[in-house]
Amino acid sequence: MTAASERLPAGAGRAVDPRRRTFWLLSLPSAIGLGLFLILPLLFMVALSFRNDLTGQLLAPFAPTIKQYAKVFGTGSYWNLLGISSLMAFGVATVATLAAYPLAYFLAFRAGKRAGLYLILLLVPFWTSYLLRVMAWRLMLDSSGVVNSVLIGLGLTADPLDLLYNRGAVVVTLIYVWIPFAMLPILAAMGRIDVRLHDAASDLYASPWQQLVRVTLPLSLPGIVAAFFMVFIPTVGEYVTPLLVGGTGGSMYGNIVQAFFVQAANWPLGAALSVIMLATTLLLVVIGLRIVQPRRLLAQ
Amino acid sequence: MHPRRSLSTTQAAFVLLIAVIVAACGGSGASLSPTAGATEPGATEAPPTEAATEVPPDQVTGDLTVLEWPGYETADFWTDFGGTYKNVNVSFQFGSTDADIYGHMVANPEQYDLFHQYTGWLQFDVDQGLAAEIDTSKLKNWDKVPDAFKKIGQINGKQYFVPWDWGFSSILYRTDKIPSVDSWAVLFDQQYKGHLSMWDDGPGAVTVSAYVHGYDEKNITDDQLASIKAEWTAQAKLNKTYWVAPADLESLMNSGDVWAGYAWQGSYAVTKGAGTPVAYANPKEGRNSWVGLYGISSKTKNMDLALRFLDQKLALKTNQNLVNLYYYGSARQDVMDGLNDPAQADAYGGAETQALLKDTFSIDDPNILQHTNFTPDLTDAQREAWTAMWTEVKASQ
Repeated sequence: MTAASERLPAGAGRAVDPRRRTFWLLSLPSAIGLGLFLILPLLFMVALSFRNDLTGQLLAPFAPTIKQYAKVFGTGSYWNLLGISSLMAFGVATVATLAAYPLAYFLAFRAGKRAGLYLILLLVPFWTSYLLRVMAWRLMLDSSGVVNSVLIGLGLTADPLDLLYNRGAVVVTLIYVWIPFAMLPILAAMGRIDVRLHDAASDLYASPWQQLVRVTLPLSLPGIVAAFFMVFIPTVGEYVTPLLVGGTGGSMYGNIVQAFFVQAANWPLGAALSVIMLATTLLLVVIGLRIVQPRRLLAQ
Repeated sequence: MHPRRSLSTTQAAFVLLIAVIVAACGGSGASLSPTAGATEPGATEAPPTEAATEVPPDQVTGDLTVLEWPGYETADFWTDFGGTYKNVNVSFQFGSTDADIYGHMVANPEQYDLFHQYTGWLQFDVDQGLAAEIDTSKLKNWDKVPDAFKKIGQINGKQYFVPWDWGFSSILYRTDKIPSVDSWAVLFDQQYKGHLSMWDDGPGAVTVSAYVHGYDEKNITDDQLASIKAEWTAQAKLNKTYWVAPADLESLMNSGDVWAGYAWQGSYAVTKGAGTPVAYANPKEGRNSWVGLYGISSKTKNMDLALRFLDQKLALKTNQNLVNLYYYGSARQDVMDGLNDPAQADAYGGAETQALLKDTFSIDDPNILQHTNFTPDLTDAQREAWTAMWTEVKASQ
């Protein structure tokens, strides 16, 4: 006992900085939560992707193989679909962010005391199930749905248009689903803008457009970037919406992953596809951030 | 000193996390290994059971968990058990496909007492040691099941499954849009572009192509599979949507968006009952037929209760509900025979429903079974290749 303490280097027995100890104590619950519910499942998925098949106990030791990755790399249609899904996600994220921006601007600078009420009204549809909202779009876009009924009623078309069961239906539905969520980080960013900056710009004869472009837009950029990636990242792996409104030609990469888990009982291949999607999405996000360089834009 | 201490703390946390993961994996492996020997392929034995009739039903208590298909949890489907064993708590977990149910069983076999699987997937359950052999002497209603059905539940010469529901797969079509359908090839007919719907299932797609081209379904070659893939890739341009739940197809048939589709017989009854002008084809290549069966999990701790549940699954009222409320075939011969007996019309929802059911199951066609192809069990290699083929078809659109 005494020997151990005597061998400690000078200063090693010094009390731990209380702020550092508080930091670690406060971080511990979230670190444990992340470890158990994010890192551990991810590691399990990575391990699963190196299995040969599903035979045997899931947690029993197995001989790792790269067979699943070889299969993915050898199948062009999977990569093609990953590319299409990334493009769709890019389009959805761009439009949803652009559509969310005026909404956030209105709530932050024009709605006044009623901003909270308007925000609640905007979010009311999202108190219902996600599935119900997507199913509502089926009723809207169906051959006998609201949109076709209106078009036929106005004499704009004689026969119903094929609005449902294609990629267009998937994109439209996803944009609708994401707009309110995309608005939130932009609204948060705008909420931090000092409104006196607008007054100052106005005093310097800046037009409303110049105020928007030179003051509001740069200062809300972090929110715009956050909104874009908040939509882009989950949309790449989306599978429920294409399943319900995509039809034969509206599949996304997530549907392929889901198919291997739920329809094929080939979890290892599904896991390999998931790992590749995760890596690709991270890569695209890094590339996107390198191009946008939000810090440099902020500094300007 | 602080940065170094901070770094070592981070490292310690990381090491701790890894240790937890390793311990968790090791722990699970250790806890599973003693029972692994009991689940060797083909060597699964049922735990000792008590006679199902010794204890009065109202004194039987406990919990049962059934791994089911969504919709099958309805009380109509276990009304006899629910009415007889009032003190047993039955809960349901769900799998949306055979593969999903198989995956659930592989991942957590201890979680379920019974599971519902269809022909084509039974061999996997037994090979994986997921199913316990069933002591049919405990089932009072077992003699109501014809031998041909009993045999379907036998794997490696042992009874691992109890047959319950069955049905046909064929082409459901709108008679106001298509005059007649006499072949599965209608699913590839260009003139119905945009008005066709195929079931979202790889083995189902291979089966249809095998019927159309006369391939041996049990021995599809690589070349044949490549040609099947090309065929379905081209068919996708004609297909409105792949249906997952029968209700999707039924809705599309009723609305007139789809004129012909791969369908189970229940969809025929539902759409015809809704007044839609439909017919259920008898293709020259033959219909397909499938059987749903219940297995008892090899890891169950409630073998006695599970046997009682299976016995009551085969009871009369439950099976009449299966037929006249949900339009499935029953494994009980007397229930199917009742469709031909006008005196029993009330038991089948009235004369009109009874007539619809007779039509649905082609009861009046004495040759229907001779023209029916029964779903064979898949091998691991077939399942992997066929489902991968289908996924590539969907990915290439």
